[in-house]
Amino acid sequence: MEWANDGKSKGGVLAHLERLEIQVNRSHKNLEDPQRAQAVEHALRTKIHKLRCLRDELRSKVKRRQARVRASIANEEPDQTQEISEQEVAERRRRQENVKAILQAYRFTGLSGKLTSRGVCVCISTAFEGNLLDSYFIDLVLQKPLWIHHHSIPIFIPLEEISAKYLQTNIQRFLFCLCEYLNAYAGRKYQADRLQSDFAAYLARPLQRNPLCNLLSFTYKVKLRGQLFLFCARLLYKDLTTTLPTDVTITYPETDALPPSWEEQRASHENLFFTKPLHQVFTSFARKGEKLDVTRV
Amino acid sequence: MDETVAEFFKRTILKIPMTEMMTILKAWDFLSEKQLQNVNFQQRKESLVQDLVLLCEKKRASVHDAALLDIVYTQFHRHRKVWDVFQMSKGPGEDIDLFDMEQFKSSFKKILQRALKNVMVSFRDAEENAVWIRIAWGTQYRKPNQYKPVYVVYYSQTPYAFTSSCPLRSNIPLLGQALTVASNHHKIVKMDLRSRYLDSLKAIVFKQYNQTFETYNSTTPLQEKSLELDIHMDSRIIHENRIEKERVQRVTQETFGDYSQPRLEFAQYKLETKFKSDFNGDILAERKEPLRCLIKFSSPHLLEALKSLAPAGIADAPLSPLLTCIPNKGMNYFKIKDK
Repeated sequence: MEWANDGKSKGGVLAHLERLEIQVNRSHKNLEDPQRAQAVEHALRTKIHKLRCLRDELRSKVKRRQARVRASIANEEPDQTQEISEQEVAERRRRQENVKAILQAYRFTGLSGKLTSRGVCVCISTAFEGNLLDSYFIDLVLQKPLWIHHHSIPIFIPLEEISAKYLQTNIQRFLFCLCEYLNAYAGRKYQADRLQSDFAAYLARPLQRNPLCNLLSFTYKVKLRGQLFLFCARLLYKDLTTTLPTDVTITYPETDALPPSWEEQRASHENLFFTKPLHQVFTSFARKGEKLDVTRV
Repeated sequence: MDETVAEFFKRTILKIPMTEMMTILKAWDFLSEKQLQNVNFQQRKESLVQDLVLLCEKKRASVHDAALLDIVYTQFHRHRKVWDVFQMSKGPGEDIDLFDMEQFKSSFKKILQRALKNVMVSFRDAEENAVWIRIAWGTQYRKPNQYKPVYVVYYSQTPYAFTSSCPLRSNIPLLGQALTVASNHHKIVKMDLRSRYLDSLKAIVFKQYNQTFETYNSTTPLQEKSLELDIHMDSRIIHENRIEKERVQRVTQETFGDYSQPRLEFAQYKLETKFKSDFNGDILAERKEPLRCLIKFSSPHLLEALKSLAPAGIADAPLSPLLTCIPNKGMNYFKIKDK
């Protein structure tokens, strides 16, 4: 490589020649001082001898140890050693699965998360009356200011409002507030779904509902003493953090006035819708109906 | 049946491709299964159409039923229209939105009918709490023109509505007003977003285009980066700029994600900026007024095309934020001025 560049190579050769010259001068100096040179030589020879002895000692040590290990392995049964390592592996795998299961089970607390490369992905799992419902995700980027990368929250939940209020100042409040809204929505949706699926027989017309399930309108059949009446119910949920309505109006669609005993029924139904979840009200209607049939017989 | 109505039926049914005829008629739900079974679908289209129109006549179908069939056809062929996006907003401190679909429909219709003498409004409920509205405009002396309707798709309890391009520009403010008032909003603004792909527009404004989330419950393993596979494919090929390729792949993945991009056909940039040049004494650089020009990027799938620019080596990564901000900002029309 020194020959590659002409300018440099000349310098390289000349420098090399200089070095050789210096070496020769040095060796001449040593010849002038034979005793000193001999002493140095002798010291170096002893050093070499010592190092060689040490090397041989270490080599023999290693050989002995290897022999011991081989002997101990040969003494023990080969199956046992394999089993132990298999056991260890199985144990480790079980522990890993356990930890994984615990992390997955955090979902049941309603609010869980996983760290991501840029922040955290929060999972809000909704539930109502002990039933686990849908889960919603928010991917947060932990920067100043904090921002939402993407999410799966329905468009009609006021996420922008809630983030404007709390995201930068109090992230705990932000998450709890969001949990409130989502759980309430999930609860209202659950009640509406239950009414549509389990009590369709009681509805004279299909249930009218909106995306937030905060306005429910339905006409249902009421039977008493062999007479069938239709009541129109209109439930408004003005508080989006609750699963019970704030306004209940039950009207009698017919033009003639309602008989007084029925007026009582109507008022009591209104009260029922205020205090109990929708599907539970209809369950109680069903039970009352059964009781009446039983008494007839 | 009125001749114009019969003609309307004929032309609407003629639009439907033979392969979709049964599906669309079933979705329309006006002719019963039995009646459809008695029709010969193997004959030539013209005779089939005649048979169907006769059947509709027998069942006393009205112009409203024909309008509903038109809505069904448009729902199946939504990309034949170009959709604009409107965003509504509520006034400060307004009450909770207690949306009532029946109230919305009647209010919307009333507002239009009060303002215009001859207008026909039809509604069809769709999935995900959306309602498709078809509006046929008339004038004071002419009945509604059924062949140039406007479609509005409104997602209830959201501030967004999508409209097909309106041939009569003068009716747009009225349409906006009807939507705003009927849905209990205060203001309406047209967004700088337009595409044929209604579902992509919805994904963009609802911010639903990225639905992959990291959880402990996901069973799908992380996708192997495609670049790594390429490198290990053939050991005889040495990638000289592997590090740069990996960087480009990483930057692209950070910007565009692993999800499929919403579909847009174009992005348009209207520039009103002063010309910037490296050469001194360039004639254009001496102009004091801003240079006006329009740059339009077109593609069958614009965002996927932009995503593949850097990995293909055509552009540097990261791409200009003017290109990458499209889904995030919900815009594909830009006006760029000097600051």
